[in-house]
Amino acid sequence: MKPAAFEYLAPVSLAEAVAALGRDDAKILAGGQSLVPMLNFRLRAPSLLVDIGRIPGLDYIEDDRAGGLRIGAMTRHHTVETSDLLRQRFPVLHAAMQYVAHLAIRNKGTIGGSLCHGDPAAELPGLMLLLDARLKTTQRTIAAEDFYEGALDTALAEDEILTEILLPPLPAGTGWGFEEFARRSGDFALTAVGATVGEEARIVAIGAHETPLRLRAAEALFPDIEAAAEAAREEVSPNDDLHGSADYRRHLVSVLTRHALMSAREGAAS
Amino acid sequence: MEIEARPKMIGARVQRVEDPRMLTGHGRFIDDINLPRTLHIAFCRSDHGHARIAAIDSAEAAGMPGVAAVVTAADIEGLLQTVRATSTMANFHGTELPVLAMDKVRHVGEPIAAVLAESRYLAEDAAERIAVTYEALPTVIDPAAAAEPDAPLLHEEIGSNVLIERTFERGEVDAAMAAAPVRVGGHFRMHRKTPVAMENRGYLADYDQGRGSLTLHSTTQVPGIVRDTLVRMLDLPGNRLRVVAPDVGGGFGGKTALYREEVLVCVLARKFGRPVKWLSDRLEDLISTSQAFDEVVEAELACDDEGQILGLRADVIGDVGAYSGYPWSAAIEPVQVVSFLPGPYRVENYRGRVRGVATSKSPMGAYRGVGRPISTFVMERLIDMAAVKLSLDPLEMRRRNMVRAEEFPYKSASGIVWDRAGFLECLETACDGADYGALRRQQAAARQQGRWVGIGLASYVELTGLGSRIAVAPGMPVNTGTESATVRIDSTGAVTAYFGIASHGQGLETTLAQIVAEELGARLQDIEVLHGDSDAVAHGTGTYASRSAVLAGGAAIVSARAVREQVMKAASHLLEADAGDMDAANGEIFVKGTDRRLSFRELARAVYTEVNRLPRELREDIELEASNIYDPYFGTATPATHLAVVEVDPETFGVTVQRYVVADDCGRIINPLIADGQVHGGVAQGIGAALLEEVVYDDTGQILTASLMDYVVPTAVEIPAMEVFHLETELPNNIGGFRGLGEGGTIGAPAAIANAIADAVGHLNIDINELPMTPERLFRLVSQKEE
Amino acid sequence: MIKLTVNGIVYEREVEPRLSLADFLRHELGLTGTHVGCEQGVCGACTVILNGDSVRSCLCFAVQADGAEIETVEGLGSIDNLSPLQKSFQEHHALQCGFCTPGMLMTGVDLLRKYPLATDEEIREGLSGNLCRCTGYQHVVRAIRAVVEAGNGD
Repeated sequence: MKPAAFEYLAPVSLAEAVAALGRDDAKILAGGQSLVPMLNFRLRAPSLLVDIGRIPGLDYIEDDRAGGLRIGAMTRHHTVETSDLLRQRFPVLHAAMQYVAHLAIRNKGTIGGSLCHGDPAAELPGLMLLLDARLKTTQRTIAAEDFYEGALDTALAEDEILTEILLPPLPAGTGWGFEEFARRSGDFALTAVGATVGEEARIVAIGAHETPLRLRAAEALFPDIEAAAEAAREEVSPNDDLHGSADYRRHLVSVLTRHALMSAREGAAS
Repeated sequence: MEIEARPKMIGARVQRVEDPRMLTGHGRFIDDINLPRTLHIAFCRSDHGHARIAAIDSAEAAGMPGVAAVVTAADIEGLLQTVRATSTMANFHGTELPVLAMDKVRHVGEPIAAVLAESRYLAEDAAERIAVTYEALPTVIDPAAAAEPDAPLLHEEIGSNVLIERTFERGEVDAAMAAAPVRVGGHFRMHRKTPVAMENRGYLADYDQGRGSLTLHSTTQVPGIVRDTLVRMLDLPGNRLRVVAPDVGGGFGGKTALYREEVLVCVLARKFGRPVKWLSDRLEDLISTSQAFDEVVEAELACDDEGQILGLRADVIGDVGAYSGYPWSAAIEPVQVVSFLPGPYRVENYRGRVRGVATSKSPMGAYRGVGRPISTFVMERLIDMAAVKLSLDPLEMRRRNMVRAEEFPYKSASGIVWDRAGFLECLETACDGADYGALRRQQAAARQQGRWVGIGLASYVELTGLGSRIAVAPGMPVNTGTESATVRIDSTGAVTAYFGIASHGQGLETTLAQIVAEELGARLQDIEVLHGDSDAVAHGTGTYASRSAVLAGGAAIVSARAVREQVMKAASHLLEADAGDMDAANGEIFVKGTDRRLSFRELARAVYTEVNRLPRELREDIELEASNIYDPYFGTATPATHLAVVEVDPETFGVTVQRYVVADDCGRIINPLIADGQVHGGVAQGIGAALLEEVVYDDTGQILTASLMDYVVPTAVEIPAMEVFHLETELPNNIGGFRGLGEGGTIGAPAAIANAIADAVGHLNIDINELPMTPERLFRLVSQKEE
Repeated sequence: MIKLTVNGIVYEREVEPRLSLADFLRHELGLTGTHVGCEQGVCGACTVILNGDSVRSCLCFAVQADGAEIETVEGLGSIDNLSPLQKSFQEHHALQCGFCTPGMLMTGVDLLRKYPLATDEEIREGLSGNLCRCTGYQHVVRAIRAVVEAGNGD
C-alpha cells in the first residue's frame, strides 16, 4: 500500500497554488486524511500534489460581526471542535463534530478538505447544508446547497480552491438536533440527521443519498414530527452497501429525523 | 522457627519483563530487521475468484527502475518440493498449495507473480504493470451449492469440492429425538472472520552462500513447524535452516499456517543470493491471511419435560476456502464444531455430521477458538431455546444438564474425556459474581420502561494444552503433543531457559521465567527466556491452541527441577551439608537455619572455573543444564461461563454490551495480570465476532472487506469493562497444574451475546441464529416479524 | 531536502515526495518504535506527535513535515527511566504483543495534555482511533486512568 510516485509542490500563496493546479492531473492536498488513504490504495494517482498547508491565512475562526462566523478552509477539525465561539453560535455544528473520526484525524484533517472531498456520509458537508453556509473559493462564492453534485463530486473547477466557509447567523431561539448512528465509534455515519427549528424547520440527511440532502418535504410537514419522519424515509435514495441496506438506511433516516426534530423543537421552545 | 524463605513466584502479579522494550520502541519486530542488499517483494495477485491463467506478461515490469526480477511459478519450478496436509480421517483430501499460482487461480488475492525490487515502493510500481490474461471459470461461493455433485470444481483431481467429511455418533439419536416431548432447533450461521493481528505477516530470508545455510525471520507462531517443513521443501539439513520469530505483533492463529510467501522468500533468497523480504500490507493481510469461523449448522436438541437433554443432532457445512492449508488442513475448523458441540453437558444420544467444502475464497485456517466459537454459539442457543420453551430459567436449564463433579471423568458424546474441572462452579461463580437475581429484576424493570435489555449465559469447556494422546487433527504431519525446555546455568551463574514455543503477546518470557525462578530458587531478573527460534531446542512446534503455559510450563518445571538437583549436589559439597538441609531462593543456595550460603554465581564458578573446588568425579558428574520434553498426554479441560447483559435500541437496532462477566477454571494461575489480560482480549474478539466482524465475498468471488474501514474490529468504545473470576481447580495428573486459557474468551463471547440479544428481543419471538448480529440483520428480523 | 526535529534532534534528509512520514521515521532515521499497521488511516499504530498534536504518520508525507517538531515513542522515557504513562502501562498490563503500544502511548500523551478525561467513557472515546487486538482495552483504560488520577503529567 505505497502510493504511486508524484511531484510535490508546497506553494505559499493562493495564486501560486492556483497556477500549479493548471496542470493536468494535479490534486490539492489539504489535511490529507481522506486523500492519502486513496493514494495508498492507488485508487488515485495524481502526477502532482499541491500542498496548500503552507499558505498563510487560511486557518481561523472569526466573528463576522453579524452573528455569523467565517472559518478558514484550512482550519483543522480539532480547532472547530474546541472553538468556544463556534459552540456558542452553532451548537449543532459543535455537537456534530463529536462524531467526526478520531483525535489524530481531527488534529490533521481540515474543514475545507472534508467539504471538498464530499463524502456523502461525512458530517461536515451535511452541516453546511443545514446551516446554509456560503463557500468562498478563489473564484466565487457557492451556496452549500449548490456545492455537491454527486458522491465525492463538487462544483469546484479543477483549479479552484475553497478558501473560506461563511456561516450566516442562526436566528435567536433556533433549536437544533443532531443524531447519528454508526456501527463503530468514529466511523462514517451509517446515517445521520441534523435539524434546526426556528420560524421554520430545516432538516438534512447524511449518508442516505449520493450527496447530503435537504429533506424539504419533511420540513414542510413540520410541526407534525411523525409525518415529517415518515416523509423523510421516502425523500432519500440510499444505496445498499456492506454496512447497511437502502431499506435500513431509510428506516434510520426516519428514526433520526424524528429524534432530531424533537430535540430541535424542545430547544426552540426553551 | 522456619522463616518463609522462598518467595512464591508462581501466582505473583509480576510485571512483565517484555514491557520495557515494548514501551520504549525497542521491540524488534520483523520490519525492524534490516539487512544490507535486501530485495523487497510486491505481488501481483489474482483479481479473479476462479480462472485459468492464459498468459502473464511481465516484460514492462521487469524493466522498471529498481526491479531485480519478476518471478512466476515457472521460474521457481524445481527449486522446491511441495507439501500437502495429511490426515488419517476417512474422506479427507489434502490439496497442494502452490507457492505461486500455476495453471489457475482459485481465489482473489492468490499470488501469481512476485516483483523483487530495491524498495517496496518500486516493487509495487512494477507489480501494477504485470498483465495477466485470465480465462474466467465459474466461481464457487456458496458452500452448500459447492458440495453438490454438479458444482464447478476447484480441484479437478479430487473430483469434489468436499475436502473433508466426518460424522460423530453415539446412542440412538433419531429414536431419542422422535420420542422426546420437547424439541428445539434451527439454522445457524456464523459468518467468516479473519484474525487481524495488529502486525501484518512478514518474512525475511537470509541465505549464507558460504555456509549454505538459510535463516528465515518470520512472524510465525510456529517456528519449529516451519523449520521442519522447509527442510523438506528446500532439501536443506535442519542444522542449516534456522527459523526465528522475533517480537511478533499478535497472531491469534493466523500465523500458525505455513504460508506461501514464507516459502517463496526462502526460495528466492537462495536463488538470488540476496536477502529477500516480504511484508504484508493490511490489504494483503485481509485477503490472504487465513480466514475462519465460516459455518452453516442445522441443529436440533431434544429434552424431556424437566429439561434433561435426550438427544442432539447437527449437520455442519464449513466453508474452508480454496485450499487445505499446511499443516492443519481444511479439517481443523469444521471438525471441531461437531467434536465440541455437546459442550459441558450430558448428551447420551448424539450425531454430528460435518463437511468441509472448498470455495473460491481465501483458505480457512486456525483462528482463536477454532470451531468452538461456533459449536458454543449453536449449543448455547439451543439450551436457551429449550429453556424458553420449558419456561425454565436458562441458569436452571444449564444446572440440570451440566456434567457434575461426581461424573468425572466423563466421556463426551464425541469421545472427548473430561477430567475433573469446575464446570458447574464456573456457572455459579459467574452468576453470583454478576448477581444474576438482581440482574433479572433490573431487566424486568427496564422492560417496564420499554427498553430491550437481555441477559445471556454461555457455558463451554475447552480442551487446552493437548498432549500426545489427542492430536489437534488425527494423522496430521506434526506432533503437537509435546514441548521441550532446556535450562542452563552458565559459567557466570546466569540462567537461560530455551523453549520451542513462540510468545507473541502472551507474556511467556515472564511466566516461564516465573516458573523457572521458583523451581530453581533463582531471581526473576537472572533468568533469560529464549523462544521463537528453531535453534533453541531440538524439537518444538510453537504457541497456539492454548498450549504454551501447560506444555512449555510443564517442560520448564521438569528441566528446572533436574538442574536444581545438580545445583544441590554441588552445593552439598561446597557448603558441607545434606541436600535435605538446604534450600535455594533469591539466587542463593543456603543451609536452612544457618548463615551458610552460596550464590548461583559462586556455585557456577566453583563448578566450571575453579577446578579445585570440587573433586574430579563430582565435577564430571555435575551438569548445570537439563533438557526435557513434557507431554500432558490427554491435555487439560478449561471450562468457563460467560454472562453478558446487552441493550438493543428498539429504533436503530444497535446493540450495546452493558456488562460482561467471565468465570473460568484455568487451574493454577502463574500470573494473575496476564491471566486477566488473556481473557479480556479473547472476549473482545468474541464481541467483535458477535456484533461487528465479517469477511464478505460477493457472488463473483470479489472480497469486499479489504480495509479496516470495512472489516470492522471493535474499538475501546464497543468493548465494555469486564469482570473476570478465575477458579483454580487442582489438576492431579498435570505437573504444573496449569490449564490453558488463551482462546476461551473468544469461544464464550459470541454465544453469550447471541443469547443476550435473543433474550432482549424475546417478546418478539425472534431467533438470533446468525452472527454477527448487525443492526441491519436485526432490523430485517424485526421487520419480517412486523409484516 | 527536508529539515525536521525528531525527539529534540534535528535531521536533514533528501526524500522522495511519496515517502510516508512513518516510513521516513522507521527506515530513514531508524526510529522503528513507530509501527505501521494498516496505511489506511484506521489502526493508529503509527501515531506520532507532530507540532504538539497526535497524527497518523501513515497519512502524512515526510515532505509535509519539513520544519516540524516530532515526538515519537523513543522520545518518551527510556528503558531505565520510563515516563509515568509508560510505567503505568507496565503496572497495569496495558500491552501484550506491544505492536499497537507506541500508537496507544502517543495518543495517550495527546489525550492527557488536551482533555480532563474525567470518565472512563472519555478515555475510551479518546482511544477509539487506536485498535488493539490483544488487551480488550480494559487495562489500557485503567493505565491512563491511573495517570490522570496521579496528576503528574504524561
